[in-house]
Amino acid sequence: MSKRLIVSLAAVLAVGISPLLRAQDEKWNRIPPKRAAYNGKKPSGPAPRRDLSGIWDAAQTLGVSGATEHPALLPGGRGQEGGREDETGVAKPLPYTAAGLEALKKNKPSGPGVRQVDSVLTNDPAGMCDPLGFPYMFLWELRTLNVVQTPKQVIILSPFYGNYRVIWTDGRKPPADPDPRYNGYSVGRWLDDYTFAVQTTGMLPKTWLDHAGRAHSDQLVVDETYHRVAGDTIEYTMKITDPKMYSEPWLALNAIPLHLMADDFDIPELLCSPSEFAEYNKQVAAPVLRDPSAK
Amino acid sequence: MANRLGIVVVMVAGVAFTAPLFAHHGAASFDSANMVTLKGTVTEYVWSNPHVLVKVDVKDDSGNVARWVLEAWNPVTQSSRGWTKNTFKPGDEVSLDISPAKNKQPVGEIRGRIVINGKEFKESQ
Repeated sequence: MSKRLIVSLAAVLAVGISPLLRAQDEKWNRIPPKRAAYNGKKPSGPAPRRDLSGIWDAAQTLGVSGATEHPALLPGGRGQEGGREDETGVAKPLPYTAAGLEALKKNKPSGPGVRQVDSVLTNDPAGMCDPLGFPYMFLWELRTLNVVQTPKQVIILSPFYGNYRVIWTDGRKPPADPDPRYNGYSVGRWLDDYTFAVQTTGMLPKTWLDHAGRAHSDQLVVDETYHRVAGDTIEYTMKITDPKMYSEPWLALNAIPLHLMADDFDIPELLCSPSEFAEYNKQVAAPVLRDPSAK
Repeated sequence: MANRLGIVVVMVAGVAFTAPLFAHHGAASFDSANMVTLKGTVTEYVWSNPHVLVKVDVKDDSGNVARWVLEAWNPVTQSSRGWTKNTFKPGDEVSLDISPAKNKQPVGEIRGRIVINGKEFKESQ
């Protein structure tokens, strides 16, 4: 067989095989629809009884400026460039206690908001690739979740920063005197066939509530409801109660839709690597520091 | 006159940019109100977290080379815009709209039009 013929056959094979390889790869690292794709979309399909299992997309940018119901932004979304010590003037202020306000000022967020600092000056746990813990993992860029349900647990896997949660549904009570954990201790129960309620306690006080640097204490209680309003939609609500830091409970997320993805939807990973973050800080964050004397 | 490698840095003050309203973090360090068109040669393309980086050598009329570091978002978000690990390669001649660092360091955020080897790269909307 001549060399030219062999080369020609190889080229034909390459052209023929490459679309097949591409088609195989399309099964992996699936990208959810843009948020705009959900605009006007009505929940549809019958909801199964007492079932949250599946792959759910929350449209990724929720909470980037803090808990969505109370973003750290001035009216009209202004103030994202930061520079302020506290949240005076934000559109929907939180009911801080004196201790809550003091704790807030110690946290230096790098996300867009009225208190944003330069990346290299932040003490955000996320900026060190520390575990986010709960509820921070749900109050910053809530993206796509893989929910697995067993007879005794609901397990939520979030490839964004490699988070997971275990919610016990076996009837146990929350621990009375827990050793604090990043993700706390979660128990869940069905209020009716389509509404799942979760209560979480025992979170580490050093973790943040959200990407705007809101603080919490050892008294934090997070109540969630997952309301399956249709086969393809859960409405998700989160309430924060922490009498040390906030004078009254407040909603962080209010009936935000989670959209059901295909059951073969492969969620891309988005992990925080300390060495990659250190390199980013060296090459980008440190050189762009606005006021070097602030370091 | 700019040479073939491209040494023109054009200030386009007040041009609307196509990036999302909210950056992942640290956007306050960049001057989003004054977009710059940067022309140069890619020296390195880093497909990693927390931000994808494109490093570009930009030569001025005197032949001096400035080594720019340009950030995009993370690989997942860039994938949603049509980027891949192969979008850039060393040696590519590029023209990129960026928001430069407010402190004038050769660092910026990729924000708008992208041209690679004379061909416009259209991001997914």
